[in-house]
Amino acid sequence: MIVPALGHLSAALPEIFLALSALVLLVLGAFLGDKATRPVATLSLIALVVAFVLVLLGPDSTTVGFSGLFITGRFAVFLNALILIGSAISLIIALDYFRLQGTERFEFPILVLLATTGMMMMVTANDLIALFISLELQSLALYVMAAFERDSIRATEAGLKYFVLGALASGLLLYGCSLIYGFSGTTNFGHLAAVVSGGPVSIGLLLGIVFLVAGLAFKISAVPFHMWAPDVYEGAPTPVTAFFSASPKIAAFALFIRVMMGPFGHVAIEWRQIIILISLASMFLGAFAAINQRNIKRMMAYSSIGHMGYALIGLAAGSVEGVRGVLIYLAIYLPMTLGAFTVILLMRRKTGPTENIDDLAGLSQQHPLVALVMAIFMFSLAGVPPLAGFFGKFYVFMAAIDAHLYTLAILGVLSSVVGAYYYLRIVKVMYFDAASEPLAGPITRKMAAVLLCTGVFTLFFFANPAPLLNSAHAAALALLH
Amino acid sequence: MPDLLREYLPILIFLVIAVALAGIVILASYIVARQNPETEKLSAYECGFAPFDNARRQFDVRFYLVAILFIIFDLEVAFLFPWAITLGKIGLFGFLSMMAFLGVLTIGFIYEWKKGALEWE
Amino acid sequence: MLAIAIVFLPLAGALIAGFFGRKIGDRAADLVTSIPVAFSAVFAWINLWQVALLGHVVTVPLFTWMDVGLFKVMWALRDDQLTAVMLFAVTTVSALVHIYSIGYMHEDPHRPRFMAYLSLFTFAMLMLVTADNFLQLYFGWEGVGLMSYLLIGFWYDRPSANAAAIKAFVVNRIGDFGFGLGIMGVFLIFHTISFSPVFAAAPGFAGKSFVFLGYHVDILDTLTLLLFLGAVGKSAQLPLHTWLPDAMEGPTPVSALIHAATMVTAGVFMVARLSPMFEYAPFTLEVVTVVGATTCFFAATIGLVQNDIKRVIAYSTCSQLGYMFFAAGVSAYPVAVFHLVTHAFFKALLFLGSGSVIHAMSGEQDMRKMGGLARRIKFTYVMMWIGSLALAGIPFFAGYYSKDAILEAAFGAGTSVGNYAYAMGAFTALLTAFYSWRLIFLTFHGKPRADHHVMEHVHESPMVMKVPLFGLALGATFAGMIFAGPMISGHWAAFWGHSLVVLPTHTALANLETLPLWAKLLPLGGALLGIVIAWQMYIGQPGIAPALAKSQETLYKFLLNKWYFDEIYDFLLVNPAKWLGRFLWKRGDGQVIDAFGPDGVATSTRILARRAGALESGYVYHYAFAMLIGVVFLMSLYFYAVGV
Repeated sequence: MIVPALGHLSAALPEIFLALSALVLLVLGAFLGDKATRPVATLSLIALVVAFVLVLLGPDSTTVGFSGLFITGRFAVFLNALILIGSAISLIIALDYFRLQGTERFEFPILVLLATTGMMMMVTANDLIALFISLELQSLALYVMAAFERDSIRATEAGLKYFVLGALASGLLLYGCSLIYGFSGTTNFGHLAAVVSGGPVSIGLLLGIVFLVAGLAFKISAVPFHMWAPDVYEGAPTPVTAFFSASPKIAAFALFIRVMMGPFGHVAIEWRQIIILISLASMFLGAFAAINQRNIKRMMAYSSIGHMGYALIGLAAGSVEGVRGVLIYLAIYLPMTLGAFTVILLMRRKTGPTENIDDLAGLSQQHPLVALVMAIFMFSLAGVPPLAGFFGKFYVFMAAIDAHLYTLAILGVLSSVVGAYYYLRIVKVMYFDAASEPLAGPITRKMAAVLLCTGVFTLFFFANPAPLLNSAHAAALALLH
Repeated sequence: MPDLLREYLPILIFLVIAVALAGIVILASYIVARQNPETEKLSAYECGFAPFDNARRQFDVRFYLVAILFIIFDLEVAFLFPWAITLGKIGLFGFLSMMAFLGVLTIGFIYEWKKGALEWE
Repeated sequence: MLAIAIVFLPLAGALIAGFFGRKIGDRAADLVTSIPVAFSAVFAWINLWQVALLGHVVTVPLFTWMDVGLFKVMWALRDDQLTAVMLFAVTTVSALVHIYSIGYMHEDPHRPRFMAYLSLFTFAMLMLVTADNFLQLYFGWEGVGLMSYLLIGFWYDRPSANAAAIKAFVVNRIGDFGFGLGIMGVFLIFHTISFSPVFAAAPGFAGKSFVFLGYHVDILDTLTLLLFLGAVGKSAQLPLHTWLPDAMEGPTPVSALIHAATMVTAGVFMVARLSPMFEYAPFTLEVVTVVGATTCFFAATIGLVQNDIKRVIAYSTCSQLGYMFFAAGVSAYPVAVFHLVTHAFFKALLFLGSGSVIHAMSGEQDMRKMGGLARRIKFTYVMMWIGSLALAGIPFFAGYYSKDAILEAAFGAGTSVGNYAYAMGAFTALLTAFYSWRLIFLTFHGKPRADHHVMEHVHESPMVMKVPLFGLALGATFAGMIFAGPMISGHWAAFWGHSLVVLPTHTALANLETLPLWAKLLPLGGALLGIVIAWQMYIGQPGIAPALAKSQETLYKFLLNKWYFDEIYDFLLVNPAKWLGRFLWKRGDGQVIDAFGPDGVATSTRILARRAGALESGYVYHYAFAMLIGVVFLMSLYFYAVGV
């Protein structure tokens, strides 16, 4: 019995390693106290890098383990790698921010590690139980992070709101899981797929799917389960917001795809309407509601809602191309949004960080390069060719057209036109408005490096898109076959 | 049917004795002890603050800390029972899994201890 | 290889001067454009030698432009006799104009831009004459159109220059529209737009027709008429001539290069190039003849009374182009091209000479304010004489050979339109001589009419302007003698090879040698008479001219106002178009499309955005409620979709 268990262990090595690192660092921090802040942060970063290497060294073929609770393969490798990159970048920019704020604590990197562990488990979940456990591990860490600046009223409010609504969403999800279990008699994805494809599907099971979708839609902040996002994005400390908009979105989306395409792939015709509806609502709300925002973090919240809507188009297509489109979209969305948040982190006055869009005025004179990079991100988020963001949209729209979802594709393009307005407004503010007071944030070497990497990726993605396209394609094939 | 009922007989006896014992103790306190009621004595026992009051008031968060810590270890025990029963069947893997779980729990315990969450003042 | 160098050297110069003109400075911009064009010209002479005399006809393929189904287009340089002659004329005049511009534009702050435009224009014209297919021809065609727009409007701070530039562009577009339709028609009929296969197939379509709106229409007549419409626009023939005189708003070197020597001759070149098609379209040829002959006469009459020195020459250009067209119309293509070459020299000479006059007069262009300049600017005076002698067709100057040949060919054609063209042309020869010497007498003779101040400043142009004038004068004097033999005499077929096709039934050229003597001498007599009349009116008895203008006021006004063409166009076309434009702008665009389109959408977007933002109340229970509503909605959707 111990022998096969070891096999499972090696497949789950990155997750196990990350969890153990978190525990060890926790003890280290607990004993060393404040002295441990810097070393723990550094070690956490190293742990993320090691986990990244372990993920890349992981099995290429699809492997099921832990009595069917766990599944890995190219799909998981692709997304885990993305998640780890997102977490690492978020951690890098967060550390500088907290140092400037004077609110450094050794718990923060550990929370990042724990959340990341949860996310990776979400990607590799192959059972409703594993799904729920991993989701909660990730969510609990995120709730704490949202309220991490516990002396700030806004942050605590954000954390509490996130927690209460998250609990509600978890309840819905759990209710869905129990319905599914009740009507199918199994929690394992593989067995569920067999049940679903075996014959007529009972209405109870379908209702379970609806609840499950609701719970998952909350995690990717899709309309109408998005309401937490603007408040939490605005209230949480900026690096936390950056983190929220990156890795957890990818993990939740991975889970979403895995659940919908795996066990319920055979009833795609049943849930497609719902996904289309959620996708449309997200795209349009994201586009319209962002227009009037003055707070840039709030605007980015709506932006991420909109982007999740675009990514959902690929899921609605429900084909290999669709999944590939989503994966490409997420891989491109991650550096763009993290880069944009890095610029937002640079927004500082003498009194502390500022978040108003108007404060960006005149950035092109004070920091021409930063303004340029931000402009690149904004154009890319708006989907202007030849920047990376265009290709993300291009592949999901192509998938939608291949799946004959013409209306969805056309409406998606229309909403991206509306969305372009508020992205370009930022460019306009940076380049054409006169500055009232200069932004005085120091640009640390790490942040500059992050900006450089993400900026170069966004700008020059078109030059060599093949590696990403190929690995996304392989990942999509691995999931569906 | 009678067999089934007979299996529940010890529980029935246990119930009867428990109810009887409780009744005897309460009755005894009425009979033996001196009765001197006052408001504070009549109110329900609650740890630290008034049980019936405006909900919107400040209180020490440590009450909740203690309660949550209690629940965690309470659940741990509840988790240990079925594990102990089936230990023979689940073997070394099962044993190690529980050890891992307990290890994680212990690390959490160490953390809260070092953080001073267990000290009242 | 030589052809590539000829065509692309000017482009290289233009790019450098255009993009780096400010960095490298005015002087460098002058050199970097003039030197490549000069080399182009030298290469073009060598090329003419090789192609026309040694017969090295080649087509240089560059690369594939488009390859869509049947539609395959190459970039290729066709270097045959016709092209070689055109290359020779274009590059030579262009090189001299470049050099002249260095002096003429010396004071202008935007000289690099000007030089870049000139070179780019030359490149476009060279692409046009080396085209191997209709699309490349069209590329060059539009290229020269664009460059002429930019050059006419070069002084963009003058409203009149802008108006003239727009007018030139718009009027040209009318012709280009026909030209474009013609090319499409060619593709429709021949399934290719490369010259060689089209020319090979053209005889097969002679006399064939297709049904259009119930009528039988001759295929080749239709195609060539459409293509000819392009030529009418580009070469300023009736009724699309109105842009050419206005184009004089551009700097004088532009007038010399574009509106005399090269661009306007594109139409003539095109007709000659497509002679294998035009030859099988008898009706079109008649139209070409009539249009050419009429323009020739019409433009000359206007030239009689104009007071602006450049406008006189501009109408003269219009008129001379008419000569070329009716020569082509009677199938005397060699003669048409020959006149094109000689005309390029003497007309450029006249324009640059007038530029020299204007330069001397501190920018004055009105001849009524000149006079008595002969002694002060002797060199220019001599140059203008040479140019006028060539233009009037006085023996042994270039124009004499070409213009007489045209008139003889028209007479020799023996057709009614040929006779009409001969009559018009012969009378125009008189008018031409008259207005040429009117120009000389008004400008150089008599008493100075300019004010004291201007007259003090009158000075001869610098050497850099004189040298090109001298070069052009050589051309205007000797080009006729040199080229008449090979190009239009009995051996013309040997010279032109296969580049020009003349059907044996079209006998205009063959009859050149056997004309009656009076037909040959009549134009010369007319020209001499014209000079005498001009002398009499402006030197002998200066009072005649005003008196005549007064007694024949209606006619005078009619001519002075250019037969009221502009006014008629304004009334018939421009004003209704403006009214329609204003209506569509104010009513259609502003009140309908904008209101419901962009503005309406923007407003509703704003409202929607406010609503969407307002959804976010901040209360957790609102959020939770929204989530539950969402679930309920999705569930009911489910029931609805599943139909339970």
